[in-house]
Amino acid sequence: MGITRREFLKNSVAASAAATVGLPLSEQAEAAVAQSEAGWQWDKGACRFCGVGCGIMIATKGGRIVATKGDPKAPVNKGLNCVKGYFNGKIMYGQDRLTQPLLRMTDGKFDKKGKFVPVSWDTAMDVMVEKFLAAYKEKGPHGVGLFASGQWTVPEGYVAAKLWKVGFRSNNIDPNARHCMASAVAAFMQTFGIDEPAGSYDDIEHTDTAVLWGANMAEMHPILWSRITDRRLTHKDMKVINLSTYSNMSSDIADLEIVFKPSGDLSIQNYIAREIIKRNAVNWDFVKKHTVFATGPYDIGYGFRPRNADKFASPAEMEVVKNEQTRVLDKWEAIGQRRKEGDVVAQANAATAGRDWAISFEDFAKALEPYDADYVVATAKGDPDESAEVFKAKIKELADYYCDPKRKVVSYWTMGFNQHQRGTWVNEQVYMNHMLVGKQSMPGNGAFSLTGQPSACGTAREVGTFAHRLPADMVVMNPKHREFSEKIWKLPAKTLNPQMGSHYLKIMRDLEDGTCKWAMVQVNNPWQNTANLNHWIKGAREMDNFIICCDGYPTVSAKVADLVLPAAMIFEKWGLYGNAERRTQCWRQQVKPVGEARGDMWILLEMAKRIKIKDCWGEQKIPGLKAAGFEDGKIPSVLDEAVKMGYNPDASLYDALFATPKNKKYAWPDPVAKGHGNHIAENLGFFVEKAMFEEYREFGNGKAHDLAPFDVYYDDAVRGLKWPVMLKDGKWTETEWRFNSDYDSYCKPGSGIDFYGNNGASLVMGDLDKPGDGSVKVKLDGKAKIYFRPYATPVEEPDSNFNLWLCTGRVLEHWHSGSMTRRVPELHRAVPNAVCWIHPKDADARGLKRNDLVWVESRRGKVKVRVETGGRNRVPRGTVYVPWFDESVLINKVCLDATCPISKETDFKKCSVKVYKA
Amino acid sequence: MNLSGILVIAKPEWVPQVVADLAAQDGLEVHQTDPESGRIIVVQEATDVHAEIEGVKRIKAMPHVVMADMVYHYFAEDEQAYDAMPAELAEDTSVCVPAYLNA
Repeated sequence: MGITRREFLKNSVAASAAATVGLPLSEQAEAAVAQSEAGWQWDKGACRFCGVGCGIMIATKGGRIVATKGDPKAPVNKGLNCVKGYFNGKIMYGQDRLTQPLLRMTDGKFDKKGKFVPVSWDTAMDVMVEKFLAAYKEKGPHGVGLFASGQWTVPEGYVAAKLWKVGFRSNNIDPNARHCMASAVAAFMQTFGIDEPAGSYDDIEHTDTAVLWGANMAEMHPILWSRITDRRLTHKDMKVINLSTYSNMSSDIADLEIVFKPSGDLSIQNYIAREIIKRNAVNWDFVKKHTVFATGPYDIGYGFRPRNADKFASPAEMEVVKNEQTRVLDKWEAIGQRRKEGDVVAQANAATAGRDWAISFEDFAKALEPYDADYVVATAKGDPDESAEVFKAKIKELADYYCDPKRKVVSYWTMGFNQHQRGTWVNEQVYMNHMLVGKQSMPGNGAFSLTGQPSACGTAREVGTFAHRLPADMVVMNPKHREFSEKIWKLPAKTLNPQMGSHYLKIMRDLEDGTCKWAMVQVNNPWQNTANLNHWIKGAREMDNFIICCDGYPTVSAKVADLVLPAAMIFEKWGLYGNAERRTQCWRQQVKPVGEARGDMWILLEMAKRIKIKDCWGEQKIPGLKAAGFEDGKIPSVLDEAVKMGYNPDASLYDALFATPKNKKYAWPDPVAKGHGNHIAENLGFFVEKAMFEEYREFGNGKAHDLAPFDVYYDDAVRGLKWPVMLKDGKWTETEWRFNSDYDSYCKPGSGIDFYGNNGASLVMGDLDKPGDGSVKVKLDGKAKIYFRPYATPVEEPDSNFNLWLCTGRVLEHWHSGSMTRRVPELHRAVPNAVCWIHPKDADARGLKRNDLVWVESRRGKVKVRVETGGRNRVPRGTVYVPWFDESVLINKVCLDATCPISKETDFKKCSVKVYKA
Repeated sequence: MNLSGILVIAKPEWVPQVVADLAAQDGLEVHQTDPESGRIIVVQEATDVHAEIEGVKRIKAMPHVVMADMVYHYFAEDEQAYDAMPAELAEDTSVCVPAYLNA
């Protein structure tokens, strides 16, 4: 035929692409594919990046990944890939992969001020453990910390949580997921009593309306976006509404775009609720059967240091931070909270921000009364160039969609809601509206929290790698949960520490004030991702502490560390991830780790080999501990009891907790490997990932968190399963919609909707201002809560000096801190550096042109960046947007470290800055 | 040589127009269409890696195109792409301590 190599390749690329999206292939095309892929071994895997959790197929040849493609059998993405997903195979092959442990040394000895020098794993481990034991002895279990990750595999997270909480009796382990969906978690727990979304991605193909609240899906969740786009094209009633503080790519196909002011989402949602009641659109059948009205305190602070903040914050910072103690209410906050303008409110509930109590419907409706259209214009209209009338028409149209009884509605959100000074409240408000109209937990109807990381759900949340959590939604503060966990883990009573540990930002504060003296980083980049960075960089480099960073690449966090350990990356190890629709999916090791790199789990287990039971299970001081059954300020020695149970105090934590006879029964090699390697199992002599997964399953089984056995996920026919996974007629069966008795076997049969997560709980009845005396209690069995939450003005607002809002976030091409995507030349070139998007008029007013270099400066710090006045994001006047992926533009030096006081998640979306020519 | 398989979706009534527009672009070949669902398979050849991504963005911006996403990527057999690391991330590979860490 005389076909050239190039034409042949093009034909096979076309054929593969067509096959991937399910277009029929000619025989000729099929033959072309077969020929071009000769010698390639294809295996299923999950994408390394966002929380959507697309299935991908990976081809290896000669020990290297040669191709990746969207998995046509994956129900999530049906063969599609976004631009990042497309480069999964390339992220491991950056030139500067770390291949050996590196320790700061001078003259052959560790020196905090020394330069990085390659050392052996043995030396690295010896120094690391010596420093660990010294910090542990001096400060106790809370003197050591672990910056954990929503990008850990499920078994990695489980090993870390068990080593920390059981081995070290420390709850100072908290994931970067704290920055990403802690507010979603807090709202799930408060509203439903159980974590994670009720619905699934299949809602898209059932719904008539997709409302995006602070979720630029077109850039951040492109594959879900393509499903929404497809639905809009094929379903004539489909409407897409985009709410955001700036106009973005998701606005391009939106039928309605609402640009709102930071924190205006709180008042828009109360307006919708008020409209639902005014228009008599309440679904009373649903509300009476399945819900209870509730509220909580308003004086909850902003998540700054509770005391002595001025020892660390500058006078300029204190102008904002002082609000942690008292807040002067502005006009709108006062109206929305039924107070007077200028009232000075002591933030008395900062430490008890999550308290709640039941209220009557009448009180609920009364609380909503101030939230009319004029109030929303004043607090939420985000584009100064839009008229009040146009804005009012838009919010009315939005309320129409929620109120229409014939219309199905799904609300989606990500960081716009979660990274919010009132993040838990704003999450709860979206459930409020869905439940008022009875549009929840049904195909095509529901409020759906999206996640940003590939296993924020599967690992951070489900395994419980948070400072307060245990597996399966249990918490360390609850004596029953500790008892249950100690039983599964076969531990002496009171081994587990009842005091909540330090959340992610607090570990940074602990390093700054010397409370924490040893910290490890795995699969994330704390010194790029944490707001108010100048403080934390100083805390790492100038305080007497020891910081270990495990990563594939030299990140900012590696640069501030004392020891850098080379980590194996995604397809160099085995793993399972859990995505945003409760789907657990898996992959095998495809290639060997580069150089001496090792999986994060191996690093933790190797550390556990060097620490003994008796090092940690004696009496330990826990400053500030007050808990029933414990002496103040300490946890007891459990060594005697441990000996009685058969533990040897001289045994290593590795032998006692991980390489147990039961776990070692999971032998390597295992037929499920199908010839794939496993560098960790080959080194340790048993199939650790499988052993850990099977042990972890014991926590959730029978508690509505059921997972299938390990091998089921590796079955060729399975493309992940949504928990609870139930054995039905001999088949492991996933749950599509939770709390709905047609789908979820945890519901009472025939109940229709059953919010069983709150079974056994109750609320004290009170009024809008306070809980009652406790004499009247409302039972919550089978019910969810509908919260009233008021508008709250952001703690820092633009003024005459810092006169612009700053919002930060991501761009399509890069993921998180860019440590992987910036090393894929294609992605790097597409968006090489962060820019500062600014409105052309705001640029003009400052004498700036596109591409000018400017300083973006806040009370906390400044960065240099180029100005962009066009492109994909169109910010309203008064707002600038800077993405955070670029290590040469550390925008988190500028950001404010205020958090939602309930969830402790940082608000990266609003602070005030000035912009001027550099 | 960078080859990408791209799925383009157009409103069904505009498929012929979109196919014609795509075919008129340099470096693009339309290989398959499904008029009913509006799906079009395009193969893009780009000499420069930057152009590959820009190409997809251009397709997305074309009239009547609802969606365009890369589906399949052929990794160039030569290693040129890997050699083209951005200057600030390029490292001397003869030593294993990235200069960035000690800078």
